[in-house]
Amino acid sequence: MTVIERGEVAFGTTGRNHCLLHSGGRYCVTDQESAIECIEENMILRKIMPDLLELNDGLFVAFTEADLAFREQFLEGCAACHIPAREISNEHARAIEPFLNPNVLAAVQVPDGVFEPFRFCLAFLATALQNGATVRTYTEVTDLVCAGKNVTGVRMRDYRTGRNESLSADLVVNAAGPWAGEIAGKAGVAVPEIPTAGVMVALDCRLNNMVLNRLNKPSDGDIIVPQRATSVIGTTSWKVEDPDLITIPPEHVDRMIAQGEQLIPIVKKVPMRAKMAVARPLIARAGIDAREVSRTFECFDHERDGMNGFVTIAGGKTTTARAMAEKVSDIVCRKLNISAECRTRNTSLASYRLFFQQPGSYRASFPGNPEDRFSPEHCNR
Amino acid sequence: MNTLKVQLQIFRYKQGQSPHYDSFVVDVPDTAHVIDAIDAAWAIHDPTLTFRRACHHSSCGSCAIRINGVEKLPCITRITDVWDGHRPLRLDPLRNFPIVSDLVVDVTSFFQRMSAADMAMTCEAEAFLPFSVDTFAVADLDPKPVDLPENFSRFSRFEQCIECGICMSACPTMAADEKFLGPAGLAAIHQARKKTDDPVKVAYLLGLADGEHGVWRCHSAFECTEACPQAVDPAGKIMALRRELIVSRFTKMLGKRNV
Repeated sequence: MTVIERGEVAFGTTGRNHCLLHSGGRYCVTDQESAIECIEENMILRKIMPDLLELNDGLFVAFTEADLAFREQFLEGCAACHIPAREISNEHARAIEPFLNPNVLAAVQVPDGVFEPFRFCLAFLATALQNGATVRTYTEVTDLVCAGKNVTGVRMRDYRTGRNESLSADLVVNAAGPWAGEIAGKAGVAVPEIPTAGVMVALDCRLNNMVLNRLNKPSDGDIIVPQRATSVIGTTSWKVEDPDLITIPPEHVDRMIAQGEQLIPIVKKVPMRAKMAVARPLIARAGIDAREVSRTFECFDHERDGMNGFVTIAGGKTTTARAMAEKVSDIVCRKLNISAECRTRNTSLASYRLFFQQPGSYRASFPGNPEDRFSPEHCNR
Repeated sequence: MNTLKVQLQIFRYKQGQSPHYDSFVVDVPDTAHVIDAIDAAWAIHDPTLTFRRACHHSSCGSCAIRINGVEKLPCITRITDVWDGHRPLRLDPLRNFPIVSDLVVDVTSFFQRMSAADMAMTCEAEAFLPFSVDTFAVADLDPKPVDLPENFSRFSRFEQCIECGICMSACPTMAADEKFLGPAGLAAIHQARKKTDDPVKVAYLLGLADGEHGVWRCHSAFECTEACPQAVDPAGKIMALRRELIVSRFTKMLGKRNV
């Protein structure tokens, strides 16, 4: 198996996600299919990558009568999706979170957590390398090799060398996130995906111990995810044409600060460390707004579109990445007549640090420091 | 918001080819960070440009480069803080690492060092929140820990080190001893040491620190601490390891009571 990634690991959407290990609470009323996927994977990831998670739980907090009116639906949704949830007193909520808006009317604790996306991906890939996979970073798929109605491989460009190469394959899996439609187009098939960007704002210090969520339906700026020494407010939602060219609208940043203030009033006084935006790979549903589109995932066997040997996995969230891989692996095995059960839900992941230390991960060929060897005067500008 | 027309001068190298610098002019908002300018150069002008990036908020550590010769994370470095508005903004890969392509370096040796220290990525929270509320002059909030509910006896945190490699690039000793465990490696040994009382593990960690390529090779230049974007203070950790090793030696020589 060969994984082809056009940049560094987590160069695309996954790298810039919110770092939230979803409990599923965010979706337990409006998108229960996704909520159930999240809580199942949350519990699996706690087992297979325990060293890569900040596990401080999360709070859904009500500040208005409208929030309070949502509480019963929320608790019922959690119960329906088997998400452990319990109300804690307002005093306890403020004791745990001293910067929380003091006007808290209700607080519900759920098993949210925090991961770090780059190391999340490295750990999976290090384990894949140990099991015989090859990972080609800085290599972009430029075209699909097709023979009649069969996809038989890929053409790719290695940006480390500038060389164009071809690779034959029994089957090609398109897991290109918001770029999946572009890759599918090379085989003449379509994927119903809407690249939908969201802005996140990282603050220059950590203001909360737990993940803080607004107790209401999903909306802009309804969550502050803490991680290390930062708190990240998110997020907005708008459709984009090109996932590579996302300009952050300044008003979205202002909105994040304003919404964040409702959860933690001190937000407005803290310097901003960074702001970022990235496109989510949402699956299109006719007549449904991007904010309402399900965060679940779907596998498309393009045999139904008349192209054999080509499968797309689309949608989903980083929390459910392992489940997405399991689903697509099962389909690949079925199509290749391989009888094997997916073992990843019970396989402890290798240290992420091993990704860079194994044969198969990239290696350098140019030793030393360019400044010592090539002063700007000697360079061809 | 105004638009800046920024000229970038980026180190280029492809395996088997001659290294050189390429210039790019990109339009970015005046609030942009350097990573936004690199992104624009790549997305608009040259998709063959290779660079590392993931989180865009100094959590992954992957984007570290040198900006005008100084090690920085471009994701949290505002263009207006490093660009004078006239001369090109010069971007180079980190020092003391082999170069893979353009701004991408091979971080294998860095992660070998971190693996040797075997520092767990997570730790217990050392403080309730890692700053003083006085920083923001808010009088009516008290950040001190209060009596927590029974099930909130501890909080977990990721270690402050994001393994960006900046300290290894800034360290003058690395150029003299390529096997030097380096600032991050030694700081990781210090953190791992703090987390264990297991005598076997302590002996292993202090043995590494006390070895030929350990703390005694450090020239105390403190460039690592100066450059670290996460305030890990690797030099301070190296000095702390030295103190522990010295105390340990005197204890062996003189007995515990006399030290």
